[in-house]
Amino acid sequence: MRLKRYIRVLGIFVRASISAQLEYRVNFAVNLFGSLLLAGGTLLGITILYSDGTPLGGWSYRESIVVVGLFTLVQGYIGAFLYPNLNKIGEEVRQGTMDFNLLKPVDAQFLISSRNINVFRLTDALVGAGLVIWAASGLENASSIGALLGLCLIVTALTIVYAVWFMLSMTAFWFVKVGNVTELFNGFFRAGAFPVSALPGWVRLVFTFLIPVAFVTTVPAEAIIGRWNAGSVLGSGVAAVLLLGVSRWFWTYAISKYTSASS
Amino acid sequence: MSHTDHSTTPVIQVRDLEKVYTVHEKEPGLRGSLASFVRRRKTLVRAVDRISFEIDAGQMVGFLGPNGAGKTTALKMLAGLLHPTDGFVRVGGHVPKERRTEFLKNITLVMGQKQQLLWDLPALDSFLVNQAIYEIPNDEYQATMREFSEILELEGILKKQVRKLSLGERMKCELAAALLHRPRVLFLDEPTIGLDVNMQVRIREFVAEYNRRFNATVILTSHYMADVTALCKRIIVIDKGHIVFDGDLSALVEEAAPGKTVRLELSENVSDERLSFYGKLTSREGLFADVLVPRNETSRLAARMLAELPVADVTIEDPPIEGVIGTLFAGTNRQAVDAVPAGAEQAAR
Ligand SMILES: Nc1ncnc2c1ncn2[C@@H]1O[C@H](COP(=O)(O)OP(=O)(O)O)[C@@H](O)[C@H]1O
Ligand SMILES: [Mg+2]
Repeated sequence: MRLKRYIRVLGIFVRASISAQLEYRVNFAVNLFGSLLLAGGTLLGITILYSDGTPLGGWSYRESIVVVGLFTLVQGYIGAFLYPNLNKIGEEVRQGTMDFNLLKPVDAQFLISSRNINVFRLTDALVGAGLVIWAASGLENASSIGALLGLCLIVTALTIVYAVWFMLSMTAFWFVKVGNVTELFNGFFRAGAFPVSALPGWVRLVFTFLIPVAFVTTVPAEAIIGRWNAGSVLGSGVAAVLLLGVSRWFWTYAISKYTSASS
Repeated sequence: MSHTDHSTTPVIQVRDLEKVYTVHEKEPGLRGSLASFVRRRKTLVRAVDRISFEIDAGQMVGFLGPNGAGKTTALKMLAGLLHPTDGFVRVGGHVPKERRTEFLKNITLVMGQKQQLLWDLPALDSFLVNQAIYEIPNDEYQATMREFSEILELEGILKKQVRKLSLGERMKCELAAALLHRPRVLFLDEPTIGLDVNMQVRIREFVAEYNRRFNATVILTSHYMADVTALCKRIIVIDKGHIVFDGDLSALVEEAAPGKTVRLELSENVSDERLSFYGKLTSREGLFADVLVPRNETSRLAARMLAELPVADVTIEDPPIEGVIGTLFAGTNRQAVDAVPAGAEQAAR
């Protein structure tokens, strides 16, 4: 009953977003071009790195491309779903329109996380998914079980990214300008374009535990190329559940401290 | 909100409600910015200071008070937006800050200075979003829209992009969006601010009609005295977070203005001294004179003037409400009441 209502509301948001953006058809072409350029640039970098044919840090050329593909896919997810919603929180708190989200009889966290969808940024996700499929299809260790596991790990990865991004945006309740905070996150996240397990030990630790970038691209990639280990898989699931729980707690705390813009 | 108990227990119960804001102070300029960056100075603002009141179902109550008195803060606590620092609040039996679905489906908060409508889309699109969020069945939605369109004259403006609407048209749409789910409790915070007199009157009529039709409980704050006097029999005056008056509008007038004005038109000249014998001479222009007399002696003194003076015509008036409230605040703390812009008086006619 409840779920049905949420799905219906989500459907309305999606439809409204699409119909608002379809007015600008040129945008679609421009975005697709941008996505290809982005992926192409990273690919070129990887190709140069691997130009002498030796694997880097135990990752072959094709295996690295799986990571690039996942990175591009997650970028698309951020651009399409997270950025248009979560980066508005600061503005809404400043102007006081956050009030209206809190007045509605649906979960306000759901509301502020799902209202706007930038459909054009889904091109990134498409290009990313294409890269992953293309690269994995040429790997002998890739299996359907690995692919299935990889899919699950992509879901936990997206959950982790959402939770971290959401918590960073939530700081808007105290510091009204948070654009910089999420930019910082984005900067770190760029590291996700490369296999974290190919990096030196201490960097690896930072990118696994401090900033969970490893779970976002490397771990799902390891599953897809057939090299997963139970520890990372379990760690990814635990991290997702934990971070989601903490973000929920943080949200509850933030709205209990919310003072609303005076008017 | 159960429909069985609203006749017995008050819909809104507030006891010793309190809200303290923590404000970080900053000196102006770069030096001030640096100083506050290193060490933030905190001050506490007691915006609402232990207020108590109860409101029965179907009542319309006006909140009056100068700017910064705490009216908005009080409404936001009632609507569940702000968590009270201390005190007891129940709205329809619910604790507002828990923001339960049944609670939120039965209230609305309209803020004249904020808007919920999507800026780039027609108002109708925002309505559809609200229809889904509030789970309004299609037939009920259609019926409500028909009624609202009729009273608010929404015809022709629902399909225009919100940013292309005039302020008044937008406010009508805001009201419709906020009341689409037919809430039983309305918190209206300066819903007519910035609107011209005609629009103020239209919105006032709409609120009155809504109250009548749905037996809705309404708390209204307004800059315009006319809104409050036209809609609310009961007035709560808030000043510096305290309730300084709670009662009938007429009692407020009586308390704040213990006098009435006897307006005389004389048939021949009479000296100021002679007129001052009956009361305070507040204005004098040739044969026209206003004499302020104690409220409880009005009829006796008016009769004496009629008998003893060459009177051509006489009227007895209450002093204008704006002035009354003004003197009420002037008396308690030398602060003027919220500005009463030109237009409010005309609107009162
Ligand atoms: N979000 C806020 N943070 C800090 N102080 C606030 C905030 N909102 C209001 N105040 C202060 O609380 C007091 C009451 O404000 P408010 O409730 O808006 O009064 P009113 O609506 O009667 O004009 C004022 O002194 C105001 O400066
Ligand atoms: Mg106010």
